[in-house]
Amino acid sequence: MAKIIVVTSGKGGVGKTTSAAAISTGLALRGKKTVVIDFDVGLRNLDLIMGCERRVVYDLVNVIQGEAGLNQALIRDKRVENLFILPASQTRDKDALTKEGVAEVLEQLKSDFDYILCDSPAGIERGAQLAMYFADEAVVVTNPEVSSVRDSDRILGLLGSKTQRAEQSLDPVKEHLLITRYNPSRVTSGDMLTLEDIREILAINLLGLIPESEAVLRASNQGVPVTHDAASDAGQAYADTVARLLGEEVPLRFHEVQRKSLLGRMFGGGRR
Amino acid sequence: MSLNADSADNAFTFKGGMLPMTVMELSSADPEQIRRQLAGKLSQSPAFFQHTPVVLSVEKLDEPHLSLERICAVCRDHKLLPVAVRGGPEPVRQSAWALGLGWFAPVEEARARTLESVERVEAPVEPAAPVELEAPTAATRLYRGTVRSGQQVSAAEGDLIVIGAVNAGAEVLAAGSIHVYGALRGRALAGIHGNTQAGIYCRELEAELLSVAGNYKRLEDIDPKLLGCAAQVHFSEEQLEIKALV
Repeated sequence: MAKIIVVTSGKGGVGKTTSAAAISTGLALRGKKTVVIDFDVGLRNLDLIMGCERRVVYDLVNVIQGEAGLNQALIRDKRVENLFILPASQTRDKDALTKEGVAEVLEQLKSDFDYILCDSPAGIERGAQLAMYFADEAVVVTNPEVSSVRDSDRILGLLGSKTQRAEQSLDPVKEHLLITRYNPSRVTSGDMLTLEDIREILAINLLGLIPESEAVLRASNQGVPVTHDAASDAGQAYADTVARLLGEEVPLRFHEVQRKSLLGRMFGGGRR
Repeated sequence: MSLNADSADNAFTFKGGMLPMTVMELSSADPEQIRRQLAGKLSQSPAFFQHTPVVLSVEKLDEPHLSLERICAVCRDHKLLPVAVRGGPEPVRQSAWALGLGWFAPVEEARARTLESVERVEAPVEPAAPVELEAPTAATRLYRGTVRSGQQVSAAEGDLIVIGAVNAGAEVLAAGSIHVYGALRGRALAGIHGNTQAGIYCRELEAELLSVAGNYKRLEDIDPKLLGCAAQVHFSEEQLEIKALV
């Protein structure tokens, strides 16, 4: 039976889709059969980040409305085995999603996959609530800034009250904190919230910390999830995150200011 | 948490409310003396005496058998409607009920206001039971965990105890006092039914808003020296007093 993980944040632009793409890729690279579903109906992005935008024929809404079969809509990733993408519709809106329809799609996927990642839209409305409703675990993506932390706090409240697990009084959704765009030198200078501040306010388990990195933007624009860029700091940080999601103990990296080596300073090599 | 059920079948819903109420604080039990003073007031401000509901406070009197009936009659003659009695010994309470008036427990700390004092109005839970003002311990609500942005946790009858933090954008309310064993970053409203004796206590004060019985202070109004400290908040001398908790 598959584990359903929602990647959510409340606030937009913090890196939900990037993280959903990177984590699902990482899980597939570790041999887990994974599907990642784009719930952002109307603002489809996941296909771009995954680099499969030219292969989209059917989407989630088509499947829910019975216009296509699930296997017709699932896109097989070209780089990793075991990875599939279920894109969102760009022409519809979030009202096209129904709880029953989503339940049916997830039920069908559950028997075939190890992990189902739901890439939530921003906000706390219908789309976001449907993305989280059936989740077993949640990855709450947060940037080191006050507005992002507050929105994440709000989402954590909804995870504890507006999900199937909450409504049926089952074990609560397992919550993980994923801090993205962390820049240790700006934290030191006081421009950004510290890791400790965020952990204290949100009071949930830290799954990973992704440093602010040029590799992320490059990966997004090339349509290659950053996990494939194993030489980059962000790629390594996502690999660590995936390992922790699989229950491994991995020490935290990239949270302290790195001193540049003499050679690095001489040749001005930036972060890769 | 609310006391009213959203069912169309209900003939009524109980709601807690804070109503402005005139308290008539008696310093004499003599109906004739009251009548003379009322007559004088009536000529000064006739607009005030328009079937105005009043609560007769007898806390300052030390007479076990005052003639409540005659005092009420004098009030009604001057277009004041006694609705309840506050304070007094057991015989006074019994005669108030016999006259169809409510009875409120005395306010421990006598305050010097003569007019427009805010009276506490408790929402009865069982219609048949007399209103119990001394909050029973059973009405205390204990909440474990973080109260998150957008969430509201309330204790409609008694105290609220939060074992955890109250985050920014969250709201905690209680008829009685609020105790937060963690950081208080959201809004805290104690004494929501008008109990001015209620207080707010927290381990780390960062609150957006503090209120006791409707008297509030915003984060801006709080002395920055107290922010981040363990603190207590009380209503005293007509305003909120915020002090370090030592």
